[in-house]
Amino acid sequence: MVHSGHGAKVTTKLAAFRRVGVMVVRELALTALLLLGVSLVVFVILHLSPGDPFSVLLEGQAPGQAARASVREALGVPTTWYGRYLAWLGHMAHGNLGTSIRTGVPVAGEIVRAGPNTLYLTLGSLLVTLLLAVPIALYSAARRTGALARALTLAVYLISAVPVFWLGYVVIYLFIHRLGLFPLLSATEPQRHSWLYVLLPIIVLGVANGTVSEVTRHLREELGRVMTEDYIRTARAKGAPVWRHAFKEGFLLPMTEMIAAKMPFVLGGAVIVEQVFNWPGLGRMALQAAQDRDFPVIMGIAMVAAAFVRLASLLRGVIYAGVNPRTATE
Amino acid sequence: MADLAAVGYGLLVVALVVISYTLGAVAWLPDDPARMDMARLNAAPGPGHPLGTDFLGRDILSRLIVGIQAYFLPGLLAVATSLALGAALGVVAGYRDGRAEALVTYLSNLVDSFPRLVLILLVIAAFKADIYYVMLVVGITGAPAIASLIAAKIQFLRTKSFIEAAHVLGLSTGVIVAKHILWYNCAPLLIIQATLGMAEAILVETSLSYLGFGVQEPTPSWGNMVQAGANYFFQGKFWPSTAPALAILGTILGFHLLGDGLNNILENKSAS
Repeated sequence: MVHSGHGAKVTTKLAAFRRVGVMVVRELALTALLLLGVSLVVFVILHLSPGDPFSVLLEGQAPGQAARASVREALGVPTTWYGRYLAWLGHMAHGNLGTSIRTGVPVAGEIVRAGPNTLYLTLGSLLVTLLLAVPIALYSAARRTGALARALTLAVYLISAVPVFWLGYVVIYLFIHRLGLFPLLSATEPQRHSWLYVLLPIIVLGVANGTVSEVTRHLREELGRVMTEDYIRTARAKGAPVWRHAFKEGFLLPMTEMIAAKMPFVLGGAVIVEQVFNWPGLGRMALQAAQDRDFPVIMGIAMVAAAFVRLASLLRGVIYAGVNPRTATE
Repeated sequence: MADLAAVGYGLLVVALVVISYTLGAVAWLPDDPARMDMARLNAAPGPGHPLGTDFLGRDILSRLIVGIQAYFLPGLLAVATSLALGAALGVVAGYRDGRAEALVTYLSNLVDSFPRLVLILLVIAAFKADIYYVMLVVGITGAPAIASLIAAKIQFLRTKSFIEAAHVLGLSTGVIVAKHILWYNCAPLLIIQATLGMAEAILVETSLSYLGFGVQEPTPSWGNMVQAGANYFFQGKFWPSTAPALAILGTILGFHLLGDGLNNILENKSAS
């Protein structure tokens, strides 16, 4: 009796494991398909732009169609658009994102150098957003109609409408000009409080990336919905810890969902915050590249940013599959 | 009650924006936005200049009013684009489930893969820093979200007897979709999405003109006004940067509150 029960348990566990595996594979395939789409969008935008790099190269030489074609051929550039797309895709697969038109430096190396700075900024800001949103969501899920819950909801709306660049000014003025906590530009003396220099942009972007109200509302609504489910009522009736039962669906899943969904907004906000704080990351690179019309750089950054967003979505898919394997069969 | 207050504030903001846009368009302003009052640079609000002056002594109130020109029509274009495209995609996905629905989901995921500002910078690099190009991008990237809302609504409505009755009566699918589904049943949803879309457009325009890709000095926009006041801000003259920043804050807050308030009142009324 005991033996067969044990065996059945192992079988169901194996089946669940397989379902999770199927779902992860499906998420991986979807991610690959989306990244292909992303690369096509980036390429098509460049392809539609007036004037290609060759016109720049042959400027002032009044090249005929024939001269242009021969230069293309000499440089080994495919003549059809899909040929060029495939060549570009092939280079990217080998980690070659081209060289910057302005500096002549390989784009991939520059992205690897500046990327971690943007990564710290983005992940840190998401953490700040959650530290702000989670307590408010928990409180207002518990007391939906209280005066404080109302006031907090309004405060969260206000915070989400604050222009991030202006909040940056306020913080820079307070901490640097007023409190003089560390010198703004100083090559001679070592930076005091340099940890603050790292922390300030993260806090500014975390507070004013415009997603706090939506994150708070989603967490509150999901937790509120789960708390009215039958299994929570049952848990409560039999005196089991409610929190442990509500955690996965009421907290973990909505958190993952929000992190994945808000990643592009935080990355977009990073472009502005990096400019305000002189933060040497991908956002400032993208801004500079847009000013110089430096295609390879901005294309590379767009690809890397999109890949990062997809990675977050992939993680969400895996966590969903792990928490609730039933969704794999749907 | 709270929702009504939110909608009331939102409508007030919309009315202020529309009136100010019209005043700016016919140049009926408290002061010439280009006139420099050298005696009063970076002045606080006071008589003569109700909202103070900027670093060249220009009247901030007049410049704020004119600054609405920078986003008003472009914003409407973005909203119109995402509504038209979103409704069309949503109808296709809702009426022909299966492959079309999968396509809309794919497009929505594709669009959501790009940080919007990065995509806009890509378009600026490829073409030019034209606000209408940018707003076309904002409109197109806003469409899939609207499409999936419309598709969900249609799938819910399709099972209702009044739609079946319309089919049995021999009404064409076009009429049913345009009149009985979109006009009678999706209008609140479209209005709400238009409101939120406008907030997004204002955010994008002010951010871009702050970064220097939008309207250029001496023509005012709320974004370049914040930027122009930056140096004086750090000298303790907060007002010239803060006035346009508060205008951005108050306006975006208004559109958000209006959209969410309407959503709670119109769309969730059956739930509560």
